[in-house]
Amino acid sequence: MNQRRWRWVALFAVLSLVLGACGSDDSNDAADDDDDGDTEETVELVQDGSRLDGIIDEGTFVCGVNDAVPGFGFTDEDGNFSGFDIDFCRVIAAAVLGDAEAVEYRPLAAADRFTALQSGEIDVLSRNTTWTATRDGSEGAAFTVPTFYDGQGMMVRTGEYESIDDMGGTSICVLSGTTTELNLASRFNAAGLEYEPLSFEDNDLLRESFISGQCDGWTSDKSQLAAVRSAYPEGDGGPEALTILDETFSKEPLGPAVADGDPAWYDAVNWAIIATIQAEEFGITSENIDDFLDSENPEILRFLGQAAGEDDAVLDPGLGLPADFAYQVVSQVGNYAEIYERNVGPDTALGLERGLNALYTDGGILYPPPYR
Amino acid sequence: MRWARANLFNSPLNGVLTVVFGGFLAWAAYRMATFVFVSADWEIVRRNLTLLMVGRFDRDQLWRPWAALLILAVSIGLTAGMVGAAAADVARQRGLPVAKGSLRSAPRRFWPLILLIVVLVAFTRTVAPTFLILGVLVAGGVAVVAGQRVPARLRRFGWIVFVLGFVGAIVVLWAGGGVPWDGWGGLHLNIFIAFAGIILAFPLGLLVALARRSSLPVVRVVSVVYIEFFRGVPLISLLIMAQLMIGFLLPPSMDPPSLVVRALIAIVIFESAYIAEIVRGGLQAVPRGQVEAAQALGMSQFSIARRIVLPQALRAVIPAMVGQFISLFQDTTLLYAISLFDVLTVSDTTTSQDAFVGRGLQAVVLPCVAFLFWAVSYSMSRESRRLETRLGVGVR
Repeated sequence: MNQRRWRWVALFAVLSLVLGACGSDDSNDAADDDDDGDTEETVELVQDGSRLDGIIDEGTFVCGVNDAVPGFGFTDEDGNFSGFDIDFCRVIAAAVLGDAEAVEYRPLAAADRFTALQSGEIDVLSRNTTWTATRDGSEGAAFTVPTFYDGQGMMVRTGEYESIDDMGGTSICVLSGTTTELNLASRFNAAGLEYEPLSFEDNDLLRESFISGQCDGWTSDKSQLAAVRSAYPEGDGGPEALTILDETFSKEPLGPAVADGDPAWYDAVNWAIIATIQAEEFGITSENIDDFLDSENPEILRFLGQAAGEDDAVLDPGLGLPADFAYQVVSQVGNYAEIYERNVGPDTALGLERGLNALYTDGGILYPPPYR
Repeated sequence: MRWARANLFNSPLNGVLTVVFGGFLAWAAYRMATFVFVSADWEIVRRNLTLLMVGRFDRDQLWRPWAALLILAVSIGLTAGMVGAAAADVARQRGLPVAKGSLRSAPRRFWPLILLIVVLVAFTRTVAPTFLILGVLVAGGVAVVAGQRVPARLRRFGWIVFVLGFVGAIVVLWAGGGVPWDGWGGLHLNIFIAFAGIILAFPLGLLVALARRSSLPVVRVVSVVYIEFFRGVPLISLLIMAQLMIGFLLPPSMDPPSLVVRALIAIVIFESAYIAEIVRGGLQAVPRGQVEAAQALGMSQFSIARRIVLPQALRAVIPAMVGQFISLFQDTTLLYAISLFDVLTVSDTTTSQDAFVGRGLQAVVLPCVAFLFWAVSYSMSRESRRLETRLGVGVR
């Protein structure tokens, strides 16, 4: 009997060894295939150098994105990531690596995004994230210049209400558990207006009840309201049947973020994004960029990484980016206006006017710092 | 007519109930039919069919999923043929009626699957997929017949054929410039996770179940703790922990495994705990006298388990096991919560595409996904019931 018991134990031990071996094999394989951070490099990164060096060595970086926000991040029919936020991942790849396609996308849920950033699973978070003090502080994120200024608005049926102050005693549809709900409460309480919030978990449910007339107003980020409005069915009167009120009652500066504590990587990402705005200010597009390579304007030459000025030298601002990074960004992805028009502009499903997101010279607040 | 009078209108109350519920059913069926055939705009599914099936799989390499499907069909066909023939023998020995499968009875037997294929073909926009599907079906059918012709002594290796086919499918998808599993998605990912989950969880669960009945206290306690802990934790929390915590648990010098592997680990751990309990139920159903008789014959502990206890125990738990597998298949939609690109996530992203945004089309895509799952699950449960009857489970 004893002997048999020992045989069982031996069998069990052998099996667990085998299983253990299989387990570690698996993870090794996965690590090899994954290859998104060579072992020694990861350690090195933590100790001294910047993430930037590791990314340049590897030739690819991981961008945390959203895959279900109209216009900003989704998957198209052919399985490619597409959208405004996705294009800014490509901008960073073009600037740092010279190849806009050298991005590994990692779709993230809203709740996981800062954990993923802190744990180093992603290098950049480009997922329509609002820049707030708490996120900058305790969430450990460092936000670059905003790429999109959004704000909360109110949509009503055309002609029913002119402004939010008329809306006392109405019922308002809102997504539950969002800052949108809180902003709504503060706006109405500040004005001393009574209202009844109808909370929904899901945009489609909300849409159905708005159409059926259960609520008088629908509040959300203006970009999302515009998307709904432009697709409003013709049978119900088409987009003209809905009006988005002019008032914006929250500030939502959306932009990419990187993890705290890596200034070199932060600067590289930040200036890659600034380059798209600067290119629009200079009037440089992906179509005409090559005409600017022999421009008379030293600022443009400097920006495109050409020798310019009295000493006839190529400017190296010490950002850790190649001298021609702006050229790569604009020629491969486009300037800010091109990215905007392609994804969210008036000709797309979202149909958003530039508004705040125009250059400071056109009445917006995009103001690129000088490149010198 | 007589049947209706006897069963539906045999009392005034029943007459009223029949009219009310019959009217309600007819109304629901009418609304459903108008939705499916008239009001719903299926364009979103038509244009995204590839995305729903294989996700972001490289569009230049779509021959790989087709080849993998062919290999799977052939291996499943072979295994089904072998298992079916073995079960028919058992039924014959016990004098149970054996319904002869034929090409003519196939539509009745497999109508959910046939409906699924018809619907999928209706959504395709080119002719090629139709012929490819037909080819796969013919290959699978030939494999079933071939499997039935396999000599009886080789039949017990049927499951090895299936596992080999599954591994072969993975190799075809991945090897030689293919797409590693991080790039998989759509229904393909759900099916892969479900199959891989059951193939890995079954042996582990078997081992844990045997360990729970071991006379060695350490082994027994470890297995009880394992079972009770993982059965008491919701799968979704395990999945989320696997995504977020493995990075913290591993030494910093080691790269965390890919997202798919992490999800698979969580699912295997969870499922094996459940399978262990199912197997334990089967083990306890085997009368103690059988073990004692085998001991009296001088058989070793190992061969008692292998030749006496396990065959009877496993046969008894086929229904519960298939039920567990079906629920595992449906649980794979939880991958949605961890942002893996499974078919549910795909359905979510399609309504964000420019052409379909803000039109309330989730009402069109979600029924489609539900139908995919229903057709596969219902077919599996039908086949398992057939197998049960043949093996005489529940018949003494």
